[in-house]
Amino acid sequence: MKKYVSLAVCSMQNTLSYRLSFVLNFLGSFIALLATYFLWRAIYDGQSELAGFDWNQMKSYLLVTFFANSMLSYYSESGITNKVMDGTVAMDLLKPLNFQKARLAESLGSCVLEGLLSALLISVLAIAAFGIPMPVDGVSGILFAISMLSSILVKFGIVYCTALICFYTTSGFGVIWARMAVTNLLSGALVPFAFFPDWLRNVAMALPFQGIVNTPTTIFLGMSDTREAILLIAVQWFWIAALWLLGRSMWGWAVRQITIHGG
Amino acid sequence: MSLIEAKGLRKVFRQAVKEPGLRGAVKHLFTQRYVDKHAVDGIDLTIREGETVAYVGPNGAGKSTTIKMLSGVLVPTSGEIRVDGFVPHKQRMENAVRIGAVFGQRTQLWWDIPVRESLNLLKDIYQVPEDAFRRNLDAFVELLGMEEFIHLSARKLSLGQRMRADLAAALLHDPKIVYLDEPTIGLDVSVKQKIRSFIKQMNRDKGTTLLLTTHDLGDIEDLCERLVIIDHGRIIYDGSLQAVKDAFARERTIHLQLGSELEDPSLLFSDLPEVGMDRTGPDRLAIRFDRFRITASEIVKRIITQADVADFHIDEPNIESIIRRVYEGSLDLELAAESPVAASREA
Repeated sequence: MKKYVSLAVCSMQNTLSYRLSFVLNFLGSFIALLATYFLWRAIYDGQSELAGFDWNQMKSYLLVTFFANSMLSYYSESGITNKVMDGTVAMDLLKPLNFQKARLAESLGSCVLEGLLSALLISVLAIAAFGIPMPVDGVSGILFAISMLSSILVKFGIVYCTALICFYTTSGFGVIWARMAVTNLLSGALVPFAFFPDWLRNVAMALPFQGIVNTPTTIFLGMSDTREAILLIAVQWFWIAALWLLGRSMWGWAVRQITIHGG
Repeated sequence: MSLIEAKGLRKVFRQAVKEPGLRGAVKHLFTQRYVDKHAVDGIDLTIREGETVAYVGPNGAGKSTTIKMLSGVLVPTSGEIRVDGFVPHKQRMENAVRIGAVFGQRTQLWWDIPVRESLNLLKDIYQVPEDAFRRNLDAFVELLGMEEFIHLSARKLSLGQRMRADLAAALLHDPKIVYLDEPTIGLDVSVKQKIRSFIKQMNRDKGTTLLLTTHDLGDIEDLCERLVIIDHGRIIYDGSLQAVKDAFARERTIHLQLGSELEDPSLLFSDLPEVGMDRTGPDRLAIRFDRFRITASEIVKRIITQADVADFHIDEPNIESIIRRVYEGSLDLELAAESPVAASREA
């Protein structure tokens, strides 16, 4: 266990040493957030409510989505993919480490920084401009925190399995983009599920992606009662376990595909 | 007891064949054709504990592929491997704590954190006890001259520094076996020397078993007792380094600088047809001879009586020229097998 903790700490250090690129990457998603913010403001112009969301709820939705998305950003995701792509996975195989646990440790390590930075930014925004309603009571606050942490693990599961696909395609970019597009749509990051047609909402609810954005936002906005919230979190954990197992068997398969060429 | 045992080891890579041009590329989208490349084609290799083995061969001969299979990074297509009783690609964790590896082209250090932190992290990963870690680290820092760069991150290191740090990283947990894949590639003489004496010391003090691939023949002569030559994925020689030298390195060359010009030097050895002579300058001679047929002192003696010798030195053939000749196919390795000291095994 200790080795994975050390790995997480090192990953944090690593992220810090790329602080400029890290911050730029972060600013990039922040600008995207502003763009969506103004887009939604234009949509809400003259409307008091859309699909059950009023403007204040929408603002909260955007901020929580931003928070969820800044965890395990492209930056940490490409870290896993790059390992597969540039053959450094060979170096990992030489170490007495479980590949999946090691990647999780690293991802969580950099998540801490990503989380801190975006939490900071969001608080500033919330106080300065947005003025968002916080969860009504302590219980839903705690449930939100749990669902947020679970969201990271769901996302890790998806990211990890996607990265392993690169063993097969031997190219990471397309796979990551496809994953991002699918995730953005089906997690509710682009548009809340409430705006979806019924069939698409049903599809999305049956997939793991909703655990990333839809679950924490629903709980944050108090759109579910305590029982429903616990159920949503249980679904998240179902997916965390399922994706972990999937990742494990994919890794077993991927190891057999490793074709690092050498002289 | 043999530490490493490989039997009938084979690795086949499947390579996609694309026809040239756009048409070929489009065609490849729909029908893929592959050819099999036999990188390693039936290798038997047994290495005892504490042995130092040089594993050499031309580019693409299958050296790295073999090492990757032995270290558990690649799964063999067929054949068996046991390393200290474990099957590397199946019992990866058990194998990993027993081996250390340096792949000259890649680093196992974390790119963006100081070397010291990387080593600390490795300590946790390999669960090296604190006192052993201290001891090793102090020794390595001194032997490899790492004080000047241990606080830098790996990305800032020069190649020579990085290689030294990588070596320290690979040996930190006192592995029984060390695989070195071109550890001195691209390094200057003094760094090479540091690395070699470090490896030698590890082998001597801790009995670390060493398998080394290299194109640097100085490495081999300095570090290894046993030589394994591989070509086209097959072992074409496996025996002691000395045996190869004895069998093929019979020729010596004496270079002479004469104080006065010799009128007709060709007369000197006219009675010995096996002695060759080249005039390398007006007052310089190079004399080639078989050291099993005539000794250097006989040659020198004969010259001193005839000419005024200002200076001379003897060239021994280096292992490089021998291996080159083996690669080119101009040396018959069956000869080595017949020589009493050499034990060559047909691959």
